[in-house]
Order: sequence, then structure tokens, then C-alpha cells
Amino acid sequence: MAPGEQDGPSEAPESRLGFSLGRDHVSFDVDETVYPLEAIYGGSYLFVDRCFVFLSRPSPRVVNVRLTSRGPATPAELDALAGEFLNELLSQVTRLRLSQATARIREYYTAAALRAAASAPSVDDLLAELDSEELGDDPLEIQVPWEEKSGEKGTEPK
Amino acid sequence: MARITFDRSLYTPEAVAAAYAEYADIALERSGDAVIAVIDAVTGGDRQTIENSFCNLALQETIVRMRRAPAPEDE
Repeated sequence: MAPGEQDGPSEAPESRLGFSLGRDHVSFDVDETVYPLEAIYGGSYLFVDRCFVFLSRPSPRVVNVRLTSRGPATPAELDALAGEFLNELLSQVTRLRLSQATARIREYYTAAALRAAASAPSVDDLLAELDSEELGDDPLEIQVPWEEKSGEKGTEPK
Repeated sequence: MARITFDRSLYTPEAVAAAYAEYADIALERSGDAVIAVIDAVTGGDRQTIENSFCNLALQETIVRMRRAPAPEDE
């Protein structure tokens, strides 16, 4: 038995979207062949702050999701809550499929980055490279003093 | 006394056991594919809210534990 479930007939308000509505709760079945359990968990995790979430398994490969509002809620509000949950479920499935589809390429890029980091030159290598560079050329005559360049002596540039 | 049935394919028994112990006297019974939480006395709040919060926490703990668990390696 789920929490808050009562025996006997109870007043059942109508859901515009076809969910099962009860007093302050809404429930619906999710087909696990369409929405994997990981996606259901992802959606549920985002909703535990907004409402009470309870999962049950009425039959194999089917998960019943029951959302109970934290305060009094109208049928329209419960409908909206369940609708948002199902939208989030779709988003989670898409994210999951994308993540699975791009797993290989992400692994490749991570491995490439690690390889590049492993073969990065050390400080000694960089210093040796600097020492070996040809520093004799000075096409812009940066190393020539200003006095020599201008041919004047005793005057300071302003 | 309330009895809440958690399906073991959806909730890990450890997560159910870890949830909300300080707010209620909860005994766990294992039967087949389910873990049944028997909630006796509750303290510090309305019984319905405590039961619902207990279920929320059990679900949250299950999700966190499953995400922490290493993913099964590909064959």
C-alpha cells in the first residue's frame, strides 16, 4: 500500500489529461520500455523538492508514479504537476540517449587530453629550447641604444 | 500503524533503512520482491507528512546510492 492510500470508495475528480487523480495526489503508469528507469529516477530526483514522489511496480516493465502535493491542490494543479513530470521525463530520456550516443567520442577526447598532458614539455625542456633559439638577429634594432640610432649625444628623448 | 511497500526493483533496502529513522519507529520486513516498512509511532510532525517524507527520502537515497555505484562494465 502506498502512503496515504485509503480503503473503500473515494471521490475521484476528473483529470483533463487522463491521469488518476485523488485527494492531493495524482498517479500514472510509465512504460519502462519507453522511459528507462534511470530517466524515471532523474525526473523523480528533480521533483522530490516540489512534491512527494512514490514509485511502485504494478506489473513487470511498468512503473507507477504517484505525486502527492505538499499542500492542498486542485485537480488542475495536479494535472499540471503530472504534465511537468512527464515533460521532464522526456527531457531525461533525450539526455540519456545523447549521453549514450556520444559516450565513445567523449572517451576519445578525454584520452586525447590526457595523452597531450602526459607529453607536455617540462620546464627544463622549455629553458633548453629558449637557450638554443637564435637571438643574434635584431632586424628592428631594439638592442641599439637610442643615442647611437639618432646620432645625438647628451640629449634625452622627451 | 502504516505499512508501506517498497518494490526492491525500485528502492534499495539499505536506502529504505537509512531514511528517516529519527522521526519514526520503523521496522522493515523483507518479503520476496518487496521491502515493507512498518511505521509505528511518529514524532515531531503529522503522520501523513512523515510517511510521505519517509518515502521521498527512501527514493532520494536510492537514487544517490545508485548513481554512486560504479557503472557495469561493457562486455
